Amino acid sequence: MDRNRLHNQVASMRRSLFDQGYLDDQFIQLEELQDDTNPNFVQEVVTLFYNDSTRLIQNIEQALNSRPIDFCKLDDYMHQFKGSSSSIGAKKVTNECTAFREYCNAENAEGCIRSFQQVKQEHAILKRKLEVYLQTVTSFSNSMSCMETILSYIAYTIISSSLYIENMDKYGKLFGTTPQTELGVDKCLTTL
Amino acid sequence: MLEGKQDGHVFKLPKVILLAKNITNVELEKAKAAGFADTVIMKPMRASMAAACLQQVLGIGKKRQAGKDMLNGSPVLQGLLCGKKILVVDDNMAHQRVFAGALKKFGAAVECRESGKAALKLLQLPCCFYACFMDIQMPEMDGFEATHPIRMMESKANEQMNGGMDEDSGRKGWMDVSKPFEEENLYQAVAKFFKSTRSNCFT
Repeated sequence: MDRNRLHNQVASMRRSLFDQGYLDDQFIQLEELQDDTNPNFVQEVVTLFYNDSTRLIQNIEQALNSRPIDFCKLDDYMHQFKGSSSSIGAKKVTNECTAFREYCNAENAEGCIRSFQQVKQEHAILKRKLEVYLQTVTSFSNSMSCMETILSYIAYTIISSSLYIENMDKYGKLFGTTPQTELGVDKCLTTL
Repeated sequence: MLEGKQDGHVFKLPKVILLAKNITNVELEKAKAAGFADTVIMKPMRASMAAACLQQVLGIGKKRQAGKDMLNGSPVLQGLLCGKKILVVDDNMAHQRVFAGALKKFGAAVECRESGKAALKLLQLPCCFYACFMDIQMPEMDGFEATHPIRMMESKANEQMNGGMDEDSGRKGWMDVSKPFEEENLYQAVAKFFKSTRSNCFT
């Protein structure tokens, strides 16, 4: 069944994101905050992160390209970036941010430039992986919703049919049943 | 909540909890000396941390089961925060969202602001916020600077309540909680903290 396959896919992708160190426990916090009242919480927070981080990356690029390099400003930007990434549990990204800040504190321009490449790389890799993962989660949720709707409809049909059969005498007098109708309902119930 | 009277009006001041990603000793000492906040906790904030912290700062229910996940539990906290207004101040949108989400889980009505300046406007008397979580490290106005006016108001309130004698200058001390963070450590640290500052506690 498609649903089972999707479920396995979601579970496997998720496990891999944690096993390979892309995500840490903080991401689980996000997942725990998602519920019926906040059905897209994880996606929303991840989107906020990528909006924030895209802007910060531009700022950092500019700061790295200016001469002389303002290491204080660089550190500020990276501090914000790291805060953001740790909020969503982006483990590898956060680690690269830490490395960057060490170069920054040492006022090592070359180190900063190299390190920043790593930050951007991890940032991009995680973005792709999260996009695919969250898309798969959404597909699975949608398939669940479909199935729930179908099951609800079937349950409704069974219940209303049961009620009809229990009260067939009464309904028969009101609406006038035919043997075909009674047979039809019976068949339906048997099939279900 | 601290209650006080000024010119015959009853006003309430929120508990202030500062958030920090990492806090240097210099900053910590500065915070302690200033006595401007009720406690400091480390980011990224987890819902269980927020719950544990609020529970202690607001002086309720110290009993808990070790190792139990507080996120969905703590009916006491749920009851306490339900419908209460809490202010979250953080320039980081992702973190703000996570934090607000965690507090909403406990039924709080959460408002968010991105700067100390914007937050101060909401924290003027009469203040309707039950508690305030504020990021220590923000551009323009950091957590210390933002809580200064709040604590000035509190000092004034203390003076009036004590008939003009301000015994402790609104000083509540600070609690340092560092990463990696376990809920159990928070409780131990907070219990120790509150034990030593018991006489200064207003609820």
